[in-house]
Amino acid sequence: MIELDGVRARVGGFELRDITFTIPARGYGVVIGPAGSGKTTLLETIAGVVPSRAGELRLQGRAVTDLPPERRGIGMVYQHGFLFPHLSVEQNILYGATDHAFARDIAERAGARTLFDRHVSSLSGGERQLVALARAIAARPPVLLLDEPFGALDPRRRTLVRRMVRELHRELEMTVLQVTHDFTEAGLLGDVAVLLDAGRVLQSGPPEQVFRQPASAYIAEFLGAENVFAGTVRVLGDAAPDWVPGEAEALGRGHHALEFRSEALTLYTVGDASPGAGYAVIRAEEVVLSLEPHPSSARNQFRGTITEIATLGALTRITLDVDGTPLVAALTTRSARELGLASGTAAYAMFKAMAVHLC
Amino acid sequence: MEGALADSPRQRSMGSYRIASIVAALVGSLFLLFLIAPIARLVGAGGAAGIPRLFTDSELRASLWLTGLTATAATVLGVFGGTPVAYLLARHAFRGRAVIAAILDLPLLIPHPVAGIALLLVLGRQSAIGRVLLHAGMQVAGSAIGIVCAMLFVSAPLFISGAREAFARVEPRYEAVARTLGDPPWRAFRRVTLPLSLRGLIASAVVMWARAVSEFGAVVILTYNPKVASVLSYDRFTSFGLQEALPVAAVLVILSLVPLVILRTLRPEGSAGLVP
Repeated sequence: MIELDGVRARVGGFELRDITFTIPARGYGVVIGPAGSGKTTLLETIAGVVPSRAGELRLQGRAVTDLPPERRGIGMVYQHGFLFPHLSVEQNILYGATDHAFARDIAERAGARTLFDRHVSSLSGGERQLVALARAIAARPPVLLLDEPFGALDPRRRTLVRRMVRELHRELEMTVLQVTHDFTEAGLLGDVAVLLDAGRVLQSGPPEQVFRQPASAYIAEFLGAENVFAGTVRVLGDAAPDWVPGEAEALGRGHHALEFRSEALTLYTVGDASPGAGYAVIRAEEVVLSLEPHPSSARNQFRGTITEIATLGALTRITLDVDGTPLVAALTTRSARELGLASGTAAYAMFKAMAVHLC
Repeated sequence: MEGALADSPRQRSMGSYRIASIVAALVGSLFLLFLIAPIARLVGAGGAAGIPRLFTDSELRASLWLTGLTATAATVLGVFGGTPVAYLLARHAFRGRAVIAAILDLPLLIPHPVAGIALLLVLGRQSAIGRVLLHAGMQVAGSAIGIVCAMLFVSAPLFISGAREAFARVEPRYEAVARTLGDPPWRAFRRVTLPLSLRGLIASAVVMWARAVSEFGAVVILTYNPKVASVLSYDRFTSFGLQEALPVAAVLVILSLVPLVILRTLRPEGSAGLVP
């Protein structure tokens, strides 16, 4: 378990402030944040490499705030590996290991065993990361801190190593905290996502929740939500309107039917948002496109003109102009092709009431 | 046609570059000659007589032994005392670091006879410390201990400065990784920082040793007798003239080549200067 409560740390002119979050025991946490947000400093503070100036830090239920790195029971993998250049690859991997057979097994699984005879200086960036990963895990730490450990790996190797780390995480019952820029990776790996910006935690929680229910419009945009609208919230009443049949049970728990008006769009949703100014976030994956209007009574349906079709591998993002407001939908490339969507043609966008998140 | 007759700006620029290169080469050659000529002349004039003197002149031999031993003792003390200081200065930012660094450089800047006088004030027979040491049977001024003290005082800053650079070149995150792998600070230093900075530390020690061997000003004030090689060379010059001083001086120059060769082998490719 990794628990931070009001932790502060300073490196030069940069400061981490009031960092509070928990990664459960044997959990996998991901830290997401822009460059310079303090991700590495956060890991170094947990590791004890950077001293914390305030707050409480607990690892595996043990208060470690005043303990040196070697007594915290952590392993750390830096983005650049920092393999000891005066030692061989094998010596690097065995450096902190007490069980050499286990360390060699980890090296084998990480694909680093074949590198044993190579000099550290001859390794590629990806190979360095593999060796650094094996070196940290070989010491069998209960808590593993990973600073963008897959950044230098090619896509195929990245998938394999990511899977290997996930397997070892389960087998060795480690608590892992990983820094990543990759939102897909965060969604794939993380039990808990921690959003960091300018040395502060913006939001933390299960990735699904963080991505679907961002705490602010800034977070939503940072997380790549294309549909973020400023507008006004109005409470429609506690009675379940006919357009929320699926969400009617939510209304009994302090939620209301809500109307959100932005410049061109009027959206309907269910939630506990207060009336007044706010933001509506709709993830592009939640928007369904069709060439004909949907026959259901769904309120969140808009007619517009397709202005842009961007295909990136299996996903295609389509921008619909709805009376001057762009609305982005993400479809599988196959669906987009089957629908025969073309730029300049009219289409209908639709989404469920629960797809609208107000913040 | 006018354009063809007149020099183009590019041609004029090339001409200026050539002239500047010739002037720079000339000035550089004169400067090198100024540095090399006296040493070459000294070795040429005294070397032939100096080497045989090593076998016949017992005072010269004793003086060289004394120089080597005292310089080595001073270097060992400098390395043991200076390494923690250099590490502290390289790795930790603390209030007063700049002041300490400046104080450590001071012996390099003050005239060495002045350094000798300062040491005499603290360690001489008339000083409190000198009297205590004398009472304990340890005579500083006028003994080999005085020579070691003078050498240590004037040359240790060179070691500390070089060692500090050597430590600063080792990325602190190597140590951080070693700590996360279970090493306490001392073991991380021994297993990671020391091996990675070793070449720089050895080179700094060699520079310190070479500086200690060539020290004259501070040594002559603190301990005229027994004579180290530099003092012997000065003594022969003042007592017997240039011809008698030449062989001793030439032997000293030849022996100075040893640390230079060591430094050359320690220097990594592409680096400049004495300290790798």
